[in-house]
Amino acid sequence: MTDQLLAEVRKMRSTRTNLGLLAGMIALILLTVLLNGLIPKAHELATHDNQHALLSAGTAAAIFAALIGVMAITSEFRHGTIRPTFVVTPHRTRVITAKVVASLLMGALFGLAAIGLSFGVGYAVLTIRDIPLELGTGHVIWLLLGTPAMTAAWAALGVGLGAVLRNQVFAVIGLIVWAMVIDNLLRGLVPSIGGYTPVGASAALVADPADYVLAAAAGGLLLLGYVAALVAAGALLVARRDVT
Amino acid sequence: MATASQLAPKQVAARAAEGPVVLADHLTKRFGDLLAVDDLSFSLDRGAVTGFLGPNGAGKTTTLRMLLHLVEPTGGSALVFGRRYQDLERPAARVGAVLEAADFHPGRSGRDHLFSLALALGREIDGGDWFRGRERAAARRVDAVLKLVDLTNAGRRRVGGYSLGMRQRLGLAGALLGDPDLLILDEPANGLDPEGVRWLRDFLRSFAADGKTVFVSSHVLAEVAQTVDDVIIINKGRLVTISPLAELTERRTGTVHVRARGAHRLQAKLEAEGLRSSLLDGDELVVEGAPSARVGEIACQAGIPLHELVPESSSLEDVFLELTAEEPS
Repeated sequence: MTDQLLAEVRKMRSTRTNLGLLAGMIALILLTVLLNGLIPKAHELATHDNQHALLSAGTAAAIFAALIGVMAITSEFRHGTIRPTFVVTPHRTRVITAKVVASLLMGALFGLAAIGLSFGVGYAVLTIRDIPLELGTGHVIWLLLGTPAMTAAWAALGVGLGAVLRNQVFAVIGLIVWAMVIDNLLRGLVPSIGGYTPVGASAALVADPADYVLAAAAGGLLLLGYVAALVAAGALLVARRDVT
Repeated sequence: MATASQLAPKQVAARAAEGPVVLADHLTKRFGDLLAVDDLSFSLDRGAVTGFLGPNGAGKTTTLRMLLHLVEPTGGSALVFGRRYQDLERPAARVGAVLEAADFHPGRSGRDHLFSLALALGREIDGGDWFRGRERAAARRVDAVLKLVDLTNAGRRRVGGYSLGMRQRLGLAGALLGDPDLLILDEPANGLDPEGVRWLRDFLRSFAADGKTVFVSSHVLAEVAQTVDDVIIINKGRLVTISPLAELTERRTGTVHVRARGAHRLQAKLEAEGLRSSLLDGDELVVEGAPSARVGEIACQAGIPLHELVPESSSLEDVFLELTAEEPS
């Protein structure tokens, strides 16, 4: 298992895919924080909820983390490297597990970088504009630790999704359409289930102040459930389907 | 690298107990309505280069993938070294495979491609801690196979910039990482230039000379005719023939032109041996369906000096096409 894990980490490090994702993530988060931090008037930024929105911009890393996972498995099917991979390790579940663990690690790193960036820059903006921090210490700790936990989960979710769909284009589009469109619509139109969607459950991990959000433990467990279900389905399908 | 002759007696006994290197037993694969492989049985012995031949769509690729646990058989079994591939302890240390010409990520360097495979293969840990020991062992192995296929200088370049021949050699390097006893190659000569084909031929011959086994598929007999000892020919998923290449050559159904003084006397002798021939021109005979050696022997026994003995050879390719031709149903 260690062998497969080292192999997967090596694969992730040896293409520019994840560097590109990292660059995209940093650009997006920096832009969001600067816009949210510099455009509103000082009194608008003095509220608890708006400060949460400003400082938690790093949670956008979840979608990038999910793409790490999606790419980790679908690029093997796309380029055919899945064949040598499975010839060397015919126990396919071992390969999927290694991809999940490697993606968890990479996803957590992305989350850490993202929340460090958004919290650091956001806090600097508040300080410069002389706006006192309205978030309690507990809230800040949830942001700093909850974000990498959440992005790690999304990276694993991406492996599961990619393993189920195999096709890279379908998996990337499916992920983005779900996370950016369908999930938002669900939470907007049916607030009573808003806390139970994958994105809604994730919000519980970063002390999101929205009304529909579940308690941290409940949301965390639910997110874990989504991850486990998708990864199990993906691992099962990959183990069963012929590699042609 | 342990060659057959260097193995300890105990190892030799253990290998003999494993049975044939490859054993397909009533192997069958159905994809929906398509019967890709139909009740195929054959076995490969150690130390030979065997060509796996058949027209495109004959079921060669599917068979090779069943041997490697990439495709699950619908019926029958595919064993390597006496076991299912996935049941081998470290399968890639026994079997190396090159299945497609381009199973690489174009943005990854050839060396990194091999490195990730070498790490997954998990060879011995080369001193140091759990991490550096593995890295070091993998690096040593990767550099060795890169050198073996003459890619040392290109190793750090991205595969996207490789020529087809370089990709083929990189694929081969990946198959050799585990120092396997059996090499499985699917259409390795496809798209190679003549120089590449010759390089591959020499490589496979020397690989087999070490007592190792090669199973190489092709849809063109001529590509492998100079490399293989034996051939297995399949068509429409079914076995057509298994034979040494030499026998296949003899089996060709061409005619033999003979020129001899006293051709009519030879014709009578041949007739007595059951060979039909027709007299062309005073001293010229055309004998049908006999190897030229046999005609020569009969002439010699009859004391008839031959001036010419020319096999009107249908080529190996003709034999191959004939064997795999549509059967009238």
